[in-house]
Amino acid sequence: MAKLAAKCLMAGDPAVGKSALAQMFCNDGSHFQKNYTLTTGVEMLVKNVAIPETNSIVELFIFDSAGKELFSEVLEKLWEHPNVLCVVYDVTSEQSFNNCAKWLEKLRAQALGINLPGVLVGNKTDLIGRRVVEQKQAQEWAQNHGLEYCETSVKEMENFEAPFHILANSFHRLYQEKRGETAKQK
Amino acid sequence: MKLRDPCLSSEGAEVILATSSDEKYPPENIIDGNSETFWTTTGMFPQEFIISFHKCIRFSKLTILCYLVQTIRIEKSLSMDPVDFEKCVEKDLHYSEGELQTEEFSFPDCQATYLRFIIKSGFDHFVSVHRVMVDGMAEDM
Ligand SMILES: Nc1nc2c(ncn2[C@@H]2O[C@H](COP(=O)(O)OP(=O)(O)OP(=O)(O)O)[C@@H](O)[C@H]2O)c(=O)[nH]1
Ligand SMILES: [Mg+2]
Repeated sequence: MAKLAAKCLMAGDPAVGKSALAQMFCNDGSHFQKNYTLTTGVEMLVKNVAIPETNSIVELFIFDSAGKELFSEVLEKLWEHPNVLCVVYDVTSEQSFNNCAKWLEKLRAQALGINLPGVLVGNKTDLIGRRVVEQKQAQEWAQNHGLEYCETSVKEMENFEAPFHILANSFHRLYQEKRGETAKQK
Repeated sequence: MKLRDPCLSSEGAEVILATSSDEKYPPENIIDGNSETFWTTTGMFPQEFIISFHKCIRFSKLTILCYLVQTIRIEKSLSMDPVDFEKCVEKDLHYSEGELQTEEFSFPDCQATYLRFIIKSGFDHFVSVHRVMVDGMAEDM
């Protein structure tokens, strides 16, 4: 049995639903925050994810950050040494999707040369009539950038656990690979 | 007088704290005298472990065998309990792909009942510690 700990950085444009997603996941779907309160700085939430078919647990330390760029040096420090990434956009906002490249670059710059598992999340799929970013387009983009992809509606409590389960499982897989390599070092 | 490595479980040393746990790679592997067995960290930095000698030892050299460790800090305590640690050294290690890092630290004349190792960062998500060796001896109590 192993207990892993992963620092998960969340980023994306303002109001795409990062905090809603992180909070919904960490309080097991018991509450959806309808009113928008913008995040200032960084909020940390913790949740354990059990890895299927093992006795292992990944403790996710989710760093939910502000989409509005109020970055200070202190906040930047909180982003150091990430293990996994979660980039969120709003499927009704083309701009939030286009900005994912910028967010991803910023996140990856925190750990140059280290393989960081990541997921791209298209949120607010409940707003069907207002959707402008197609699933296929986003999926392709994610793939080209080495990210997994999933869509969620935090409001309808749809699929909100998937991004974190994907990340925890990728991190666990990476751990097993690396342990195998270490055992070969002399 | 013959010097023995007091940093071995067979000599009474014990790892009393380690911040990562995977039962396949327990912290006892650091002091079992075998560099093929290791303790692994399982995620976020910093990580640390504390070795208790259960007695006062005097030593001049310490060697650590590890993998992918970037910044390490070593502290010692001379107390009966694992408190009041003082810094011995802090160092950025070199990256060596595909081989273990062997890092030697010399101290003029050091005494300790506990040694604390803080791994502040790594060259990858996970790092491992294979052995800690100490050139020294137990003080006559
Ligand atoms: N319709 C709909 N609204 C959502 C969904 N998820 C979040 N929202 C709403 O979107 C607004 C913004 O959500 P937040 O989670 O605060 O957004 P954020 O990404 O954390 O924003 P910043 O903290 O400013 O970066 C809130 O009013 C939420 O209720 C969803 O799946 N569907
Ligand atoms: Mg927020």
